[in-house]
Amino acid sequence: MNSLTAHELKIVIAGIGGQGIVFLTRLLSQTAVNLGYPVVVSETHGMSQRGGSVISHLKIGGSEAPLIQRGSADVLIALDANEAMQNLDFVRRGGTVFVSSNAELHPDLLPHLERLNIRTLHFPASAIAVELGSPETANIVMAGFVCAYDGLNLPLEDLQATIKQIAGQRAEGNLKALAAGFQAGKKKIEDAQPLPENLR
Amino acid sequence: MSTQLLTGNDAIALGLVEQGCRVATAYPGTPSSEILAGIIKYKKALDKDLYAEWSVNEKVAFEVALAAAWTGLRAAVAMKQVGLNVASDPLFSAAYTGVKGGFIVIPADDPGPHSSQTEQDSRLLALTAKVPVFDPSTPAEAREMIGDAFVLSERFKIPVILRPTTRLCHAVSPSADAPASSSDGKPVSPKFQKDPAHWTATPKLRYKLHTELNQKLIEIAAEFANSKYNYIVNEDHGGEVGIIASGVAFHTARQALLELGVRVPMLKIGTPYPLPVNLIEAFSARFATVIVLEEPDACIELQIPNRQRVRGRLDGSVPNSGELTPEVMFSVLSKSLSGVGMQVNPSPEDADLSAAIKKLSLPARRPRLCPGCSHRSAFYAMKQNFGPRAIYPGDIGCYTLGTNLRAVDTFVDMGASITMANGFFQANRLVGDDRAVIATIGDSTFLHSGIPPLINAVHTGARFVLLILDNHTTAMTGFQPTPANDYLADGSEAPRKVSIPDLVRACGVEYVKVTDPYEQEDFTAILNEAQAHTQAADGGVAVIIADRPCVLYDNDPILEHPLPVVVTDECDGCRFCTEAFECPALVLRADGSRVDIDYKLCIDCGQCIDACYKGFIVPKLAEMVG
Repeated sequence: MNSLTAHELKIVIAGIGGQGIVFLTRLLSQTAVNLGYPVVVSETHGMSQRGGSVISHLKIGGSEAPLIQRGSADVLIALDANEAMQNLDFVRRGGTVFVSSNAELHPDLLPHLERLNIRTLHFPASAIAVELGSPETANIVMAGFVCAYDGLNLPLEDLQATIKQIAGQRAEGNLKALAAGFQAGKKKIEDAQPLPENLR
Repeated sequence: MSTQLLTGNDAIALGLVEQGCRVATAYPGTPSSEILAGIIKYKKALDKDLYAEWSVNEKVAFEVALAAAWTGLRAAVAMKQVGLNVASDPLFSAAYTGVKGGFIVIPADDPGPHSSQTEQDSRLLALTAKVPVFDPSTPAEAREMIGDAFVLSERFKIPVILRPTTRLCHAVSPSADAPASSSDGKPVSPKFQKDPAHWTATPKLRYKLHTELNQKLIEIAAEFANSKYNYIVNEDHGGEVGIIASGVAFHTARQALLELGVRVPMLKIGTPYPLPVNLIEAFSARFATVIVLEEPDACIELQIPNRQRVRGRLDGSVPNSGELTPEVMFSVLSKSLSGVGMQVNPSPEDADLSAAIKKLSLPARRPRLCPGCSHRSAFYAMKQNFGPRAIYPGDIGCYTLGTNLRAVDTFVDMGASITMANGFFQANRLVGDDRAVIATIGDSTFLHSGIPPLINAVHTGARFVLLILDNHTTAMTGFQPTPANDYLADGSEAPRKVSIPDLVRACGVEYVKVTDPYEQEDFTAILNEAQAHTQAADGGVAVIIADRPCVLYDNDPILEHPLPVVVTDECDGCRFCTEAFECPALVLRADGSRVDIDYKLCIDCGQCIDACYKGFIVPKLAEMVG
């Protein structure tokens, strides 16, 4: 009990009520648990769910405190550019931000991100979900994108297994969304850094 | 392998079911609402014979469960912290009379507060009522404490409080699949036995029971000194400072110490009342300074007899209001520890980045009524009709958000809309103020504590309009049934349902109208008629029941009659609709030029057509034809 491991992964997930923050958090946390990691999650409930900002804190392999301190999160996943900016100061030096939007963050923030060596990755998860015919799965598309970057050390096949485990009737649609996000993420990586001819 | 992830509320529910709780009652309220639903889930999964109900209010819930405990069954009652105020009358009495079967009272506190009208500390109410408290720090510990709380309750014949907080209720962590072993201390004879010395104790006997209660607490404090829920971490790291912490604050403090890069001995307390003082004093004697970290108020700190070297919420070393978030905790410990010469790491938060974010003044997304919410339609019609001058006492529920629309001027506690309207009527009469008074209350809140206020208003001749916003469910907390629903907590059919209009009539109200707030023209006519009744020579309180189901709970009426809308090109961005109607699906363009419909959020209720007095929001079909 109470073992504090050296390699704790702290993830903040932010969005607006109705975007599926709670389910996305559940997918990531259940996958981590299935892989045998200790997990602590803090969810938002109640009045703030009525169209307000919703934020989850997810800690894999670490202390039992439910909340993450500002400046110490390894990863921020934001389902909305505004919420990404609101919660940017959760991210530690050298951390990563995944934003479900192609809209750039405010230019005043960019020098700080550069100074703190925080990497920001934009991804049109909503547009991809709309193309798939299920706009409500943008949260899962985003999970696939983050997975393509190996942002959380949670392998694709384990995320797939968790979807089958917890998504019930929605499993099929969610698996499609996950795959679409993953493939688009891989493509984005290739486009950004073309691999040498012999490695393609 | 699949370890289950449990929320704190589910862990409490599972603990109750696996430890043989036979009667569980609750009234919903954040952060406690999911406990009773969890109990019903685990009752089915573990095939237990258990009775669970959503009671009409917390006092009722408490007493229904108490009777089971007097029968000799294990029983529990759950509520949010302010619910314990409603149930405090039986709590204080039951501390004296005691119980037979184990009885656990679960008030969930809300440091912050996030979803409550106060930050009160249920442990302090327990201290006043003289009821022992377990203060869990994780979901798993809460589950484990249930068995011990039942045993303590049965051994000492005393109600016991298990006090979680928001961050524990809504934390999610892995929990063992195998049920924790059921503890001993099964009730001897689960059958109510008459016992006048306890169950009907007169004041003289109550004095005796009080003396006995005091003795129980002395013995319980001695037992708590050896409780496994009180332990020391970082024992071997000496120094001038020690920390005493309880609940979630214990883990937040441990995390902060890691960030600060120091190790400080910490005494974790899981049994804050009656406080095992000897344990505290033995620990404190080793240090020049002892910092007490607890939420939301000072319960442990208050009970420490000699506070000379104690720092905490009482002496201002720890802020005396608000949640101990990781940032607050870091700052408190950083200041205290560097103050005694310890080297600590700087805060990981980058002040320049935080300042840059703040400077952007990003739009804060405040909670709003959902698209299609019938409360919005009722508030809009009410506000358009009676204007900004009228006085609008409001109540506790989703519709408290009517304050965004300036349609709620006061809220105090459950049911107070009606009593405040009653009071404003009398006060206004005395000061010669003739403004109209229109109170609003939801269906569940009306049934919870609106009926005595309504009887009082009718009997004393008060005159005001009361709008009962009946959306057929307890929406804010997750759609729990009310006595006006035809089903019970477990989904089974209710033997009887209660009619709100009949109840209102039975309270002596002569003007009662049931109407759909979506029909805004008719609704407005009825508002005027009701106001006229409050002014008539033989008039009185006028009650309108705005009858329309919550769109999240039952969207069928809209699916059957959708009314898609568009904003025409003539829209000039005047903001009337976004401010007076405030539907999340009506979005002002960034340049302020016009309003667009966000069709991802819009549910085709068509209610905003009335919210553009210029006529620029029109039915989609009409636009195509036009």
